[in-house]
Amino acid sequence: MTRRYALRATLLLFLAATPLAAGLAQAPEPTVTVAGDVATPLTIKVDELKTFPRTTVEVQEDGRTLRYEGVLVGELLGRAGVPLGSALRGDAVATYIVASASDGYRALFSLAEVDPAFTRNDIIVADTIDGKPLFAYQGPVRLVAPKDARGARGVRMLQRIDVVRLKK
Amino acid sequence: MRRIAWAGAVALLWVGVASGTRPSAAPAYEWVLPAGFPPPDVPADNPMSEAKVTLGRHLFYDTRLSGNGVQSCASCHQQARAFTDGRARAIGSTGEQHLRGSMSLVNVAYARVLTWANPSAARLEDQALVPMFGAHPIELGLDRADGWLRRLREGTRYRALFADAYPRDPEPVTRDNVVRAVATFERAIVSAQSPYDRYHFDRDETAISESAKRGEILFHSRPLSCFTCHGGLHFSGAMGSGPPGMMVQLHNTGLYNLAGRFSYPPNNLGAYEVTRRPEDVGRFKAPTLRNIAVTAPYMHDGSVATLEDVLDHYAAGGRTIEDGPHRGIGRNNPNKADAVRGFTLARAQRDDLIAFLQSLTDDQLLRDPRFADPFQSHHPAPRR
Repeated sequence: MTRRYALRATLLLFLAATPLAAGLAQAPEPTVTVAGDVATPLTIKVDELKTFPRTTVEVQEDGRTLRYEGVLVGELLGRAGVPLGSALRGDAVATYIVASASDGYRALFSLAEVDPAFTRNDIIVADTIDGKPLFAYQGPVRLVAPKDARGARGVRMLQRIDVVRLKK
Repeated sequence: MRRIAWAGAVALLWVGVASGTRPSAAPAYEWVLPAGFPPPDVPADNPMSEAKVTLGRHLFYDTRLSGNGVQSCASCHQQARAFTDGRARAIGSTGEQHLRGSMSLVNVAYARVLTWANPSAARLEDQALVPMFGAHPIELGLDRADGWLRRLREGTRYRALFADAYPRDPEPVTRDNVVRAVATFERAIVSAQSPYDRYHFDRDETAISESAKRGEILFHSRPLSCFTCHGGLHFSGAMGSGPPGMMVQLHNTGLYNLAGRFSYPPNNLGAYEVTRRPEDVGRFKAPTLRNIAVTAPYMHDGSVATLEDVLDHYAAGGRTIEDGPHRGIGRNNPNKADAVRGFTLARAQRDDLIAFLQSLTDDQLLRDPRFADPFQSHHPAPRR
């Protein structure tokens, strides 16, 4: 190794160790986690949601109609092995989910509320609004509960969904 | 940008043309709004028209609408300050200082509640009577016998403006028509072209800075959660179409905590003055944050000088006043809103939040000739 190359290698090593380099490193790919009382915990990349069955819902807000598109929460829970449809009966009906945002905000739904076979609430994990990506303060994904009269359960910056089965 | 014709006026015009008669309705009013920005609801008994906006604009800027001829609506609602006046507390035409500051009129057409703390004040036509005729305090100080209307009838300019605005009225220069026209002009003052609007409605990523984008996230996230009270398209829980049946929430932000029966300064007790419920002491409206950077000083009594001071107040979870008649620890006010919990922000985060608030300044509105003084030569009224 010549002296010049040795100098370059040292410089590269130095740069790699600096916070600047850490900042330049790619941010972790955004994900949504489904965990808790589930058969198969999942961590789904946000981009992967595009390959899942999609649902569009409309929400009235401030006198305008907003169109959100994304994936039914029930679809994600089904992939995690949560009992839905005909399997959602007996003690399983006393199951709820907690949707959590990156800032710690949380909202709760009963499992039956998000099971399309139980109710037609069309509660989705949305990744687009009016055909465009969500704004940073909303996403990259958010919960949308289109039949709620108030928006307080529409968890923005959604990070995880935890399933909790009530036990005696 | 798009122009939304007011459909009702269009329909009336069509009927007039189809029947072969001269259309008696005023021309359609066009809202200038970005796509996706809804027009406001307008009362059926006072529809929008360009002629009424023009008349209302003249009346708004006319000092003949004060008892002593020294003030107009615009004295306390100045366009360059987003229709506020830069004072902590307004001063009426006779020099009397008010207990509260002039509120911005921007997007007032969307307001579900008017004034600082009256949960039942909802119609601009009713509210306009307060500054016109109110005596406690005196604002414009007009006489209730309506002698001032003579001054309007004397000029040919107003005769033409009233006739255009109210073509069916044989004698259109009336108190009710003045109020309707002023309210119509106020409804026309819509701010929807700020950098924030270009970012949101036009998806122009360069319209606001990266700092402002970070500030927007802070605004909508815990622990700040500013949107809790300043939410929605107008950054005010008292504006826009709220959930059906849900009352507008007024808020005690812990500005004061006086010892004694009332925790807020006398004669400025907020919604309590209307409801007489003890829990309403200190509850005031969360005003729009649109153009907030040009409407200092802040709060209902203008007692907070700058946006930085506003952040200090909320970061502390309420204001502490060490000495004087208002001394007290505001964060301990028994009526304080749960949302005012306090928080810690790094210097850079404060800068980001303020950059976001500054992105709500609609410079075009502040200079828009449609809302400017028609009596000034550089803002001529439309030719008649």
